[in-house]
This record gives sequence, C-alpha cells and structure tokens, in this order.
Amino acid sequence: MTAYLLRRLWQMIPTLLGVIVLVFFLFNWVGGDPAYVLAGKMSNPEQIANIRAQLGIDQPYTVQLWIFIKQIVTFNFGASWSTGEAVSSIITTRMGPSMTILIPLTILETVIAIALALGIAFIRGSLTDRLIMIACTVGMSISILVYIILGQYVFAYQFGLFPVQGWGDNLWENLFHYSALPILIALAVSVAPDLRLFRTFILDEVNQDYVRTARAKGLSERRIVWVHILRNAAIPIITYVMSNLPALLIGAFLIERFFGIPGIGREVILAVERSDFPVIKAITIYVAAATMFFNLLTDLLYQAVDPRVQLT
Amino acid sequence: MLTLPSASRLTQLSTRRPNHRQPWRWPHQLVCLLALFFISTTTFCATSPADPDKVLHIPFEAADDGFDMVKNANLYSGWVSESIFETLLTYDYLARPVKLVPLTAEAMPTISNNGKTLVFHLKKGIFFTPDPVFKGKPRELIAQDYAYSIKRFLDPANRSPSLIFVNGKIVGMDQLVAAAKKSGKFDYDAPVAGLTTPDRYTLKIELTQTDYNFLYCLTYSSFGAVAREIVEGYPTQLASHPVGTGPYMLQKYTPRSKIVLVANPDYRGFIWNFHSSGTAWDNQLVKEMQGKKMPQIGKVEISIIEEEQARWLSFQNQQLDIDWLPQIATPTALDGEKLTPAMTEKGIKLFRAITPDITFSIFNFWDPIVGGYSLEKNALRRAIIMSYNIDDDIIQLRMGQAIRAEMMVPPGMAGHDPAYRSSISYNIPLANQLLDRFGYRRGADGYRTLPDGQALLLKFASTASASAKTASEIWKRGLDKIGLHAVFLVNNFADNVKAANECKLMIFGGAWQADFPDGENFLQLLYGPNALHGNNACYQSPAYDALYKKAVSLPLGPERNALYVQMNRQMEADSAWSLETTRIRNWVMQPSIIGFKKHPILNSLFQYMDIKKKTS
Amino acid sequence: MNTLTHPASYSPGLWALAWRRLRHDWVAMGALSIVLGFLLLILASSTGLIADDWDQEIAVNYAPPSFIGAQAPLTDIKQHQTAPPDNPLDPLHDIIAQLKREMHHAGTDRITLLEKRSTLPFGADKWGHDIIKKTIKGAETSIIVGLVAAVLATLLGTIFGAVSGYFGGWIDDAFNWFYSIFTSIPYLLLILAVAAVLQQKGISTIVLILALTGWTGTYRLIRAEYMKHKVREYVMAADAIGASHWRKMVIHIFPNVSHVALVQVSILVVGFIKAEVILSFLGFGVPVGVVSWGSMLNEAQNELILGKWWQLTAASAAMALLVTAFSLFTDALRDALDPKLK
Repeated sequence: MTAYLLRRLWQMIPTLLGVIVLVFFLFNWVGGDPAYVLAGKMSNPEQIANIRAQLGIDQPYTVQLWIFIKQIVTFNFGASWSTGEAVSSIITTRMGPSMTILIPLTILETVIAIALALGIAFIRGSLTDRLIMIACTVGMSISILVYIILGQYVFAYQFGLFPVQGWGDNLWENLFHYSALPILIALAVSVAPDLRLFRTFILDEVNQDYVRTARAKGLSERRIVWVHILRNAAIPIITYVMSNLPALLIGAFLIERFFGIPGIGREVILAVERSDFPVIKAITIYVAAATMFFNLLTDLLYQAVDPRVQLT
Repeated sequence: MLTLPSASRLTQLSTRRPNHRQPWRWPHQLVCLLALFFISTTTFCATSPADPDKVLHIPFEAADDGFDMVKNANLYSGWVSESIFETLLTYDYLARPVKLVPLTAEAMPTISNNGKTLVFHLKKGIFFTPDPVFKGKPRELIAQDYAYSIKRFLDPANRSPSLIFVNGKIVGMDQLVAAAKKSGKFDYDAPVAGLTTPDRYTLKIELTQTDYNFLYCLTYSSFGAVAREIVEGYPTQLASHPVGTGPYMLQKYTPRSKIVLVANPDYRGFIWNFHSSGTAWDNQLVKEMQGKKMPQIGKVEISIIEEEQARWLSFQNQQLDIDWLPQIATPTALDGEKLTPAMTEKGIKLFRAITPDITFSIFNFWDPIVGGYSLEKNALRRAIIMSYNIDDDIIQLRMGQAIRAEMMVPPGMAGHDPAYRSSISYNIPLANQLLDRFGYRRGADGYRTLPDGQALLLKFASTASASAKTASEIWKRGLDKIGLHAVFLVNNFADNVKAANECKLMIFGGAWQADFPDGENFLQLLYGPNALHGNNACYQSPAYDALYKKAVSLPLGPERNALYVQMNRQMEADSAWSLETTRIRNWVMQPSIIGFKKHPILNSLFQYMDIKKKTS
Repeated sequence: MNTLTHPASYSPGLWALAWRRLRHDWVAMGALSIVLGFLLLILASSTGLIADDWDQEIAVNYAPPSFIGAQAPLTDIKQHQTAPPDNPLDPLHDIIAQLKREMHHAGTDRITLLEKRSTLPFGADKWGHDIIKKTIKGAETSIIVGLVAAVLATLLGTIFGAVSGYFGGWIDDAFNWFYSIFTSIPYLLLILAVAAVLQQKGISTIVLILALTGWTGTYRLIRAEYMKHKVREYVMAADAIGASHWRKMVIHIFPNVSHVALVQVSILVVGFIKAEVILSFLGFGVPVGVVSWGSMLNEAQNELILGKWWQLTAASAAMALLVTAFSLFTDALRDALDPKLK
C-alpha cells in the first residue's frame, strides 16, 4: 500500500511540472501585459518600464520560471499586483466562502441523487420512470444562467424568501441565510444529470447475475438494493463525484458573481481581467495539485469499497 | 475637597420628617458630586457627535484595490480613502461651480512668484487615529506628513499610477528620483529644494513652472496625508491598514465583499453651514441640516455588488440606503426625469447629477487606413463619425440617462460653454455623399474600398461586456448604412489598454471622468507631446498644440476658456474623435437619508449626510 | 440433412439490431423526429430559405408579442434637432456645404423612415428584430457550432485514445501525461488560454475552444476500449495474417468501438450547445452581427428586469426542446447499442 502511494505521489511530479511550465508560458505569452493596467490613466514609457522592473517581468524567461518554481515549493506566491494583498492570504480567505457553498451542495446533491436513483430503479421501465427521466432531461436542458436569473428574481425578490445577495460574518449565518438560495439553485441544476447517471450505474448492477442469485436465495428486495447493489454501484458513483470536485472549485463562479459571494471563482475572473499573474498562477497550481490529489483519493477509496480491486 | 456624605448621614436625610417650612432639597455636596461625575464622563466620552445607531448601507459596483492610494487609482479605493485621509484643501459641499476651501490648512495657500510658490499653514491639533505603532502617544498631523506623502508618489518602487499629478513639477525632485532609480532605494530624508517645511505646521512648495491647476492636483483624493510610522510599520498590509486623520476609520475589511467604516471618535468635526446655490434641493438641504454638528452618521457599511439586478433588488428590499440607479431599472423607476409614482409613494428621493465625464471613440492617427491629416482621410473619419447614431446610444445603451457631449469639456467643469454645439452630427445621406465624392467606391460585395482600390476594413477594439456589445451593434448598424465594412475584435481589457497606449489599435472607445474641475484635464488627451503618454489617438496637430500651450500659460478664467473652445473646433476640423455622450447618474435614496447632494469631484460625502431615525 | 439447400439463418449485425430496438421505442422515435425537424430547419435557414432577413429592424424596440398587445416605448426622449453650426477651421467645410446644397436640390437629404410594427408574433428585441427569426438563425449557429465541435472533439479523442490504447508503453505514458495536465488545469483557465492563443475571435474560435477542451472524456473511453479489444482473438487472428498496426486499429478494431464514439458525439453536442451559452457570458461568444442562442440569452439577462421576457423564453424554450430531444435520443441510442441491457 505504501509502495503504491509513494509511486503515485512520485508520478504526480512530472505532471505537476508539466502544468507549471504550461501555465507559465501560456500566461506570460498570451496573458496580457499587466503593466499598462497598473500604470493608471496617463502613463509614459518610462513609467511602464519601471513597473515592469518592479514586477520582475522584464527579466529573461528562464529566470522568471526559476523564481516561479521556487515560489511553488515554498508556498509563497508573493502579493497580488493590483491590490498588494498576499496571494496566500487571498486563497485562504476566499476558500471559506467557496467551501461553505460547495460542501453542503456536494453532500446534498449526492445523497438526493442516490436516493432518487435507487427509488427509480425499483420501478424501472414503468411510465413514472420514463416521465421522471424526461423531466430530468428537460431540467438539464435549461442553462444555469436562466435558473440563476429567474431564481434570484422570483424567490429572493418577488417572494422575499431569501436575501437577494450578500455574505455575512459568521459561519451559521452564511450557511443558512446567505447560502440557501445559491445552494438550492445549484441543486436544481445538478441533481438531474446526477440522477440520470446514477440510475444507469444502478441499472447496470440490477441486471447482473448475482442479483438473480440473491433473489433466488430469498433475500428481501430492500436488502439486495441497499447492501449488494449499492455497494457495487458505489465505484462509478465515487469516481463521478470525486472527478467533479476540483472542477467545482472554479465552476461556481457564476453563482458567486450573481450572489456576491467572495469565493475563489470570482477571484479568478477578477485576476484574469487584470492580468494579475501571481493570483492566476497560484490558483491554477493549487487546483491542479488538488485534482491529482483527488484522483489518488478516489483510487484509494476504490480499494476500500471493493476489495476485489487490486491497486497495482 | 468634597467628601462623600457618610451612609448614616444619608439615611438621616431621607428619614427626616418633612418640615413644612423648609422643603427637602438635595444636599449641595451631592449635587456638586453628581454634576462633576456627569461632566467628567462627557469629557472622557468621544467628542464626535456621530450616532452609532445611524448606519448607512451603500453598494459599490466593482471591487476596490485596497486603501494605499499611492499604489492604485481605483475609483472605489479613492471613495473610501477620502473619508479616512484628509487633503490640505477640499471643495465646498454645495457651491456650483465647484470652489476650493481649506480642509487641514488654516486658509487658502499664499501664492507668489507667478504661481510657482505655494505656502500652506496647517491647522494645529489634528490627530491621526490611535495605532499601536504610535506607542500610545497621540500623533499630531504636521506639514512633514504632506511632504512625505507627496514623495511617496515619486518613489519608483511604488510605481504609482497617479505619478502624472506630480511628476516633474516640483523643483529638485527629479534628481532624487534619478538617484532612487540608480540605487534602488528612495531617500525620504534627503532635502528637496521644492518641498520644504520651514516649521512644524508650514509647507512650502516650489514648482518648476506655472501650473494654475496644481491646487486641484493637491486636492485629488489620493493626496491625503499618511503617517510615516504607519507606512514603515506595516509594509505589506498598508492597503488594508489605513490610518488617517479623517472623519471615518476602517473597522472591518473583507476584500471583494464588504468594507465597514466607523466614525472617528476624536475627529474635530464641523458645523453644517453651507450656503445654498439657489436650487430648491439646496434650500431643502439647508433647512434640514443647518447648524448640525457633523459627522452624524456613525457607521458606513459598503457592500460590493457587481450584478445590476442584485443591486437594484437589494435597494428595493431596503437592504441598501442609497445607490445610483442601475440602468436596467431606469424604465421602472423613472418617468422622464422624475420618479414614477410607485417610487414616490415609498418616499424615495431622487437626485439627478450630470457626471463630469465624456465617452468617445478614438481614431488612431498613425494607422494607415484611418490615420493621417489629408483631406481624403479626414473625410473618411468624418463620414464614420456621422454614421454613429447618438440618439440610439442614449436610448439603448444609457437607457436615456445621458446627454449628447457637444464639447470635450463636460458641464460643470471650467471651460464648458453651454451654448456650444458640435459642428458634426448624425447624417447618413451626407456621409454617403462625402465618401462618394472622395472616391471610396463600392466594390462587388457592396462594401466600399479605398480610393486606390484596396480593401477597406475597419477594426474596432472592444471588450466582452454587454454595453460594449451594444455599442458595437450601434456602430455596425450605422456603418452598414454607409457601406463600410467593420469587424469588432473582443480582447481582454489589459491587452486593449496596452495596444491603445502604444497606438496600435485602429478605432476604440474611451471614457474620461474629471480628476479636477478644469477643461485642461480633458484637453490633455489630444495634446501632441502626450502621444504614447496617454494621448491614445497619437494626434499631433501643431495648431491644437499651439492653442494648448497658450491656454495653460494663462490663469483660469474667460480668456483661457475661449482657447478651449478653439481647441474643440480644431479637434472637430481634424475629425479626431467621435465625441459621444456625457452620462447622468440618478442617485436614489430611502426617505430616511437627508443632506445628500452629489458633488462632481468629491465622492465620499458621509460626513455631510444624516439619517432620520424612525420614530417608533 | 443437406445444409447447403437450407439457407443459413441470417444473423443481423449490431446496427441492424440497434435500429430494430430503436424503432420500437416511441420516446426515441419522437425525439429523433424532433431532432430531424431542427436539422431540416437549420438546413433551410443556412441556404437562406427562411429567416434570411432576421437582421431587418421591422418593429419598434422591444415590441411585445401580439397576444399581449402594444406597449408604450421605453424612453421617449427626443433630442433637440437643430442644424449643426459651421466650423470655420474645418478644411472640409466648403465641400460639405456644396454637398448639402446638391442634396437639398435633389431632395435626398432626408432619410425616409420605414413604418415600424408595434407588435410581432413573439415580440422583438431591443433593435426591433423578429424574435422568431432570431431564434431560428440562432438555432443554426448554435447547432452547427455544437455539431462541428462535437465531431472534432470526438475525432481528436478517438485518435489519441486509439493510439494510446493500442500501442501502450511510452506512447501511452506520454499521452496520459498530456491528458493529466489538460484535466488538471481548471476549465475556465483553459478556455481563456486557448482563446488567447487563437487571437482571432469568431465562430471558428468557439468551435476550436470547445473541441480542444472537450476531447478528454472520449480519450479515456476509447483508450479503455482499445486496451480491451487489443487482446481479443480476432485481433490476434488479424496479426497472424500479417495486418499492419494501422490496418488493425482502423479496419478491425474501430468498427467494434464506433458505437461508443457515436454516443460520445451525441453527448458532446448537448454539452457544447450549453457551454456556448456560458462562453457568451464570458465574452467568447459569437461576434457582433451573428446571433446564437448564447448571445440571445446573454442579452435577455438584463431584459427580464425591464419586464421584457420574450427573448429569454424563446431562446430557453427552443434550446430546451432540442437538448431534451437530443438527450433522450442519445439515451435510447446507447441503450439500443448495448446488447447487455434489457
């Protein structure tokens, strides 16, 4: 097991290096020159040269790349070019709000989707099954943008059930007061595809021979579903949930923007608009590392759930 | 020495039977003691009249960049900093046209030597808000603080975007800056001939040449005084740790989300006694606020809300107290120039302010297709300008909340002539005739070519925002009507700014809001020597430049303003810009907000406002 | 028994079987007919038969649908139109004066304004374009973008997956490394990077952005399939008769995995049509003068609060209809092609 872990961690290094080099060259080459944005309304070439010198972007690429690698190893990405705030501070403070939305969202979404999928698996092929699947498909075909716009207008403003936007100071207030509508809207959008997929996974299992055997043995349908089928369907479900997690980090930027939540997604958009390289590079590296880490975690979970799986 | 009456004596007093001839009175010792107690508590209590229950909720539509005003020129950072730091002078709250008045200075500065020497005397007894770095001692504001603050702008390591306000203007500073560039460190203690403090409260500035607008530069919000100990004590957190002498201080800062200001308890305050400028709004303000001790508002909560829908819905839910009306809400909230009955029923008030800004589209004079001073190229630009439908711009892009900009100097700024009318207007048939006359024939695909037959493709640079898309649509509709082929390239903001500064874009949009209330602030954008220094049209007209040089050498007044008019005519003659609109901001506020009048230059008006408390 | 005189029982192939199964599924047939309907629509639209004049401003701004009835215009500010003054410094002054005189004589100095309708069947947008025609034209753009990008992405993913799964070894490692890098970088930044590299903004850019960021799912699936099939007996048989690597990959193995690729194309079409909306929101949408469902939804964002809901409804409904139909059909196709299920 330890040998496997070490080998996987070792294999991460070339990938991480590849990401670093790619990000570095991409953003230095095509990312837009921040010097002019920082120079103010009326600038002159002297000022621009000074800014570039101060930011260190007038040095040759190799020097800059080496500095970048050093920064990653020491977890010190310097300060944002536009606000001067330390990048590490930016990431740690924005993580909180993002997580306050994403963790409850992921948990609720997975639990609801699994429960519904199991329920539907019982009545598969019936008209209700068909209709629910069609309803899911219709729900999925409406863009998330439309859900957000309508949701904010109707539930927050017209009915006054939730605050229109904002973020508070303490965790409970954020969790129950400000996150409620964003989480609900995100749920509406994400339960449908999850449900369809989980239904497929579960149906794959339902037709297997061992289910027939279990029925022949006389086990109750409930036991078959909860103990046997779920266990086997868990692998693809876990893969799916885990592989979506890193994408969620940035992907929630639409929700964050419309609801005024100071999270990572919104920060990335702002950084890109101003060509704030330290922030962009730092976030990319962290998300890339998180993705690789989550992949490893998924594989480890595989083993825990299915003892047949051999991690080679 | 007063002594506390002993307990027994008190009981004796209270149980003494009332004597009809002598009514019971407070023993005089007790009275004096109680009086002393109350007086002393009030003296130890804050001198500021601000009421902590008066909380103002206000939104920003974009994020700030922290509160170190040397490092950024962000409008919202400046807005907050104006209430934390104090400049030497400020503007009179109600006077229009705007008028400078002293703030931390005792009086307006004495100006001599043909406008090149300015001497300021500071008020005594102004203190910075307490901070651990001051080691428990009250820190008084001294002239040296202003000298230090100005030097910080010139320090190359600070790479200040506001450098232009003081660069090259102060005698002796250039040597210091050059030395700093060589050694890598700015020597703040080295003497500078043009920036001296003859005594603790006197500041003397010597300019390299006459600059009649320099006082306005010093009044720019970024030039509030900072304390050297703070800058040196918090080198990396300065942006989130502002310490000033102003009416408010930063209590809480969640970047990108929320800023909370509280009233500075030791602020010297003032009595509200501004003179009305004659309008009904001013008269109402004077009636409500005259004589009040300011500041009244104890707390300001600023939320950063980027989406218009969210802002408008929050205002209607009364989560916000004052906001400028988002454009999308205009049709539902406004009926022409007044509020709709639905709004007035709720008691909401409206203040319409013409922003001192202009929007325009720039032609690059170095571009081979649209640039150049020949009649042929001039005609091409003229036709393009005549194809832009400004009415559509005002109605669709600005939802009716703008007026046509007739001249480069907007209303309210020195040099604006209300009777001036632009000599170019929207005229499709004329544009077509003009292009025909100069040989821009239509090719096989229906689009015009250059007179020599080569392809004519106009490239507009724009950004990804919805308003940029609408503007592009207005351009396309007009250009299609005169047969010119155009593409609209969307790029990120940073790339556009860079290419614009280097004069590499063909046609692109711009906007400029006044930093100080004189037309020079706008006309500098087309001054020849400013090419590559902010003159993004790279327009270099000897006639225009001559007029400009003459104008800045004259003191502010009618003679100078007449030259501004000439410069406008020259700009139109060369078809340098497509001058578009000046925007109107509709400030809406809840019925409890009083004392508000938007100032063209000042943003932070919290110390002039008040909130009527609800009588329960 | 003489087996030669009895015809051997005909064994239908995968596709025939799948088609048979599909035909019996009424939901799938319904969905297929809707999809075919849309395809016919965009064929007619792209050849100019219908909706060709969508960019004519035939109605007043924000004209409401006919079933609601005409409304008052948004803003009625009439700017004071006086003739512009003369500019003595203007070098074009004399020429312009002469042109004005000539136009006045010929009577061509006024533009005749066309009569604009006050309502349309499903309303108009801010410039007075017919929403129905816009929706049809938008369908053309969105569907073509989605289709082309999906085919391209699947092609890329299949080629990479085939090579990687078949050859294995260091080639597989190299592709895997490339794949890990691609999937590690957040999707948003990937879009921005690809967009920045491509410089030119237009429909081809959108297609390339979607294709270059969407091949990873297909890659993984096809790679797994090739790895599975490579060790099967029929491949070993092909090896025995001396087939080359390319022949084995394309002629022998690919037909057995093509159904996976086909399903991927369908899934991606749906995903890309929805992604185009988000790209429009971020500013990477179609250029000015071209309409797509994404650009319509983007405009509609701010219209809802003005009370103009028709563009939002039209684009959402059309998109919902197509995406639902396509998804249902994809599901049915996948079920039909999978012999194990049922």
